[in-house]
Amino acid sequence: MAFDLPPPPVAAASVSAALTTTKVEVSSDYHGQKIVLYGAVFNSTNRPADVVVVVRGPDQSVRIARKVQVAGLWLNSRPVVFQGAPGFYTVASSRPLNEIADFGTLRRLAIGVDHLAFNTPADGAVETRFGVKDLVVSRLGSDYLDYRRAVVRIKHAAGLYDQNERGVTYVDKGLFRAEINLPTSAPIGHYQAEIHLFQEGREVQVRQRALEVRKVGIERIIYLFAHERPWAYGFLAVFLAIASGYGASVIFRRS
Amino acid sequence: MDVYLPIAEVSVNAPLLIGLGMVVGFISGLFGIGGGFLMAPVLVFMGIAPAVAVASQANHVVASSASSVFAYGKKRAVDFRMGAVLAAGGAVGSLVGVEIFRILRLLGQGDLVVSLSYLIFLGVIGGLMLIESLGALLRRRRGEPPEAFKDRRPAWLYGLPLKMKFPRSRLYISIIPPVLIGVFVGILSAVMGVGGGFVLVPAMVYLLRMPAGVVVGTSLFQIIITTSLVTILQAGRNQTVDLMLATLLLFGGVIGAQLGARASVRFRAEELRVVLAVIVLLVGLQMGLGVFVTPADPFVLAPGMGG
Repeated sequence: MAFDLPPPPVAAASVSAALTTTKVEVSSDYHGQKIVLYGAVFNSTNRPADVVVVVRGPDQSVRIARKVQVAGLWLNSRPVVFQGAPGFYTVASSRPLNEIADFGTLRRLAIGVDHLAFNTPADGAVETRFGVKDLVVSRLGSDYLDYRRAVVRIKHAAGLYDQNERGVTYVDKGLFRAEINLPTSAPIGHYQAEIHLFQEGREVQVRQRALEVRKVGIERIIYLFAHERPWAYGFLAVFLAIASGYGASVIFRRS
Repeated sequence: MDVYLPIAEVSVNAPLLIGLGMVVGFISGLFGIGGGFLMAPVLVFMGIAPAVAVASQANHVVASSASSVFAYGKKRAVDFRMGAVLAAGGAVGSLVGVEIFRILRLLGQGDLVVSLSYLIFLGVIGGLMLIESLGALLRRRRGEPPEAFKDRRPAWLYGLPLKMKFPRSRLYISIIPPVLIGVFVGILSAVMGVGGGFVLVPAMVYLLRMPAGVVVGTSLFQIIITTSLVTILQAGRNQTVDLMLATLLLFGGVIGAQLGARASVRFRAEELRVVLAVIVLLVGLQMGLGVFVTPADPFVLAPGMGG
């Protein structure tokens, strides 16, 4: 029943991709992991296509404070909370993002560390100003950008945020690969890999692939025990400590 | 050989942690202190979140102190009654201290208070100890008799009500001073993440005038009770105790503590106090002077509440 199928799009581009690893198992020898994404671009048009790979980890709110000098001492100012900041975020593309799409498009799709949609709801208020709706006004005022950049800078230094405009490399015509480096400190949870296909500055297709980072084995047992039976866990820890202290004193007395 | 810590969520070198536990355990057994004030800075330097470092090392302190208390207990060098009175105060103090610290962390001032506490308490105690013990050492070298031992204890120790007999320490004093010392040490141990031995030992020597022979064992006994409580509270309320980390540390710690307790009999008390004073002073300056140095990055992540 060929008639039931949608007609093949005329001169369109599409992308498909797969992760070489979809489950990252965090065991006692975990060192972080490198994940490779392979994909193919089918482009029957004569317009060039760009691929942007975005990997987002689970959200982790961030508290950040600025150090200020008071009477010779460096003190922390009141911390600011950023919510909706991903715990891990990496963007890979084959050329600079601003050549692939314009500012507005990148902002709307939240592609690029400068366009990450995290804000400070506790301090901000949504207002309409100068005819612009839904403008977030922050207590921080003009400092807001400094704080925001600091979050990105600190996360980048920890290997948690990255933006690589050479991260997508073509291994053959239409066949590309991208590497995602998960550091040891990357949070546990569900990750989402998005593969965006751009043509002439417009997103023509987006594919999503799921990635899960989870603890296994003894790591998982300890973690679950600590969170599900915290008091029993505490008593066990103390019992083990006193028992090993006693054990050592007995062993040493004999020797 | 690196190992991934399930609660701290970082990968660290296991032999290094065992070695660190051993060194701190040795110092703990030698001087009768928990050694937490030495370990916390090293763990944080290794990339472990301060909250996890403090909670897990409390468990290590339980183990290494227990290991040496059994050794001291055999030598009848523990005043269990005095330890229990101090610990009762310590329990109250650590509950109060945990609350204080929680509020300070929410205000983003946790780091500052920790740094300043290290600077002030370690600096003052280390300095006083150094002066006193060097003086005693010099007098011994010159062949002068030791400073007339003030066996006349201060009158206020006797003037207060609620007196109790402490046969092991040959004391008959009010329980109010030891309880207050315990409360103070409990607050410090919650805020600084330490057992508080570096405050307890001088307090027992100079304020309570306990015989030197029972000071170390009693201090360790009190530390076990306080740090056990801290471990259980931290695990129960904050889930910040990392069993993997604590196990590695205490494995080295119990061995180090035994060696330390044995080594302690080979040294004179004044010499030991000089060394301890220098260590305390150096750690205090190292931790505390950070607040005077212009930070490389004016922004810092504030722990507590998520991120």
